[in-house]
Amino acid sequence: MSNPIIVRVFDIVGGPLCVSADDGQRVYDKIAPLLRDGQRVDLSFEQVETLISAFLNAAIGQLYGEFTEDRIRELLAVRDMDPDDLPVLKRVVENAKAYFRDPERFKQATGKEDSDDTE
Amino acid sequence: MIYYLPTIESNQEGYERLAALAKETKELRASRLELDLSRVAILEANMSAPLGAVMARIADRFNAIEVVNVPERVERILRKNGFLTHYRYQPIEDEKSNAIPYRRLQPTDQRVFEEYLQQHLKGKGIPRMSEGMGKVFKKKIFEVFQNAVIHSDSKVGIFACGQFFPQKQKLDLTIADAGIGIRTNVRRVVGPKINSVEAIRWALKEGNTSKTGAQPGGLGLKLLHDFVSLNKGKIQIASRFGFYQFEGGEESFTKMTGDYPGTVVTIEVNTADTCAYRLKSEAPQGSIF
Repeated sequence: MSNPIIVRVFDIVGGPLCVSADDGQRVYDKIAPLLRDGQRVDLSFEQVETLISAFLNAAIGQLYGEFTEDRIRELLAVRDMDPDDLPVLKRVVENAKAYFRDPERFKQATGKEDSDDTE
Repeated sequence: MIYYLPTIESNQEGYERLAALAKETKELRASRLELDLSRVAILEANMSAPLGAVMARIADRFNAIEVVNVPERVERILRKNGFLTHYRYQPIEDEKSNAIPYRRLQPTDQRVFEEYLQQHLKGKGIPRMSEGMGKVFKKKIFEVFQNAVIHSDSKVGIFACGQFFPQKQKLDLTIADAGIGIRTNVRRVVGPKINSVEAIRWALKEGNTSKTGAQPGGLGLKLLHDFVSLNKGKIQIASRFGFYQFEGGEESFTKMTGDYPGTVVTIEVNTADTCAYRLKSEAPQGSIF
């Protein structure tokens, strides 16, 4: 099997702050095509200082909607992550697995603000 | 119109009073609001955020707002934290640097918000906390901000304000939006019958998320709850008719008398806490997926 490609989160986001779902989406957009090609990916969090679940939901959690757990385990590795962030990643992963078990989730949200007399 | 604002404290009644302001001004359009503060004995600094959110909605309907008859003590606080400078008052210096200034931000202002936290959390009890805890606290604030970005659909922005109380060793930070509220989001998933209080209860439960589509969600509030529980701090959430408070290990869910038009999250941290923070469920990197 080929050597993994190192994908640096810091370089994709353009800084140490990983706090938005939009930035997480940019990371997802980089790694998902590689995984589709069967390419191994080492996702490096070197130089990342602030990382939250909203970012990880988009960057990594979303992968469980397209790839099987086995496939992700086989192709994706995380490195250089602050040990304090690992439990958050673990919860994001578990949460994503549960989320994608429910196919209703894929339906697109619609709706507007409820008027105050509908309480 | 003239509206006499009463005392606004950081509690359920405070949010109900802001809901009343929103209700009374709901029909005001292309007109003028004179917000008279002469009856305000206390306006807790962090409540500038939800007050600002309500006022931004009023201004968004082409109304001119003037804030008048501000009692001296209240004026000093609201000029120090910059709230009144949005209403043509001059700023005054915050010599002790205990205010976390009032800011109105847009959802794309993540980096501005980072600089704001970097600049204004410094020296406010954070050095007393362990370095790890200060970092964790900042992340939780970002989770709340990101929740507002993802879920609120706020047309007029996101509002932040806080205050450090060195004697009490606590720090309050409030993030408010003028959006659709938790209830509307939860109704999209569980159906139209759920009320505001039950919607907050649902959103706080692990595994529940009002997100749909390709990106999962639904951890931000739980992680915040875990952190505040360890820190022995406090959380308040006011959203539409729902009010939630978590303090001293006790949770309460209450129906408010009015409809706060949006969602407000207040976090109170105990800055005397020097514990290290790491969640229990650690996993080695190899097995995380």
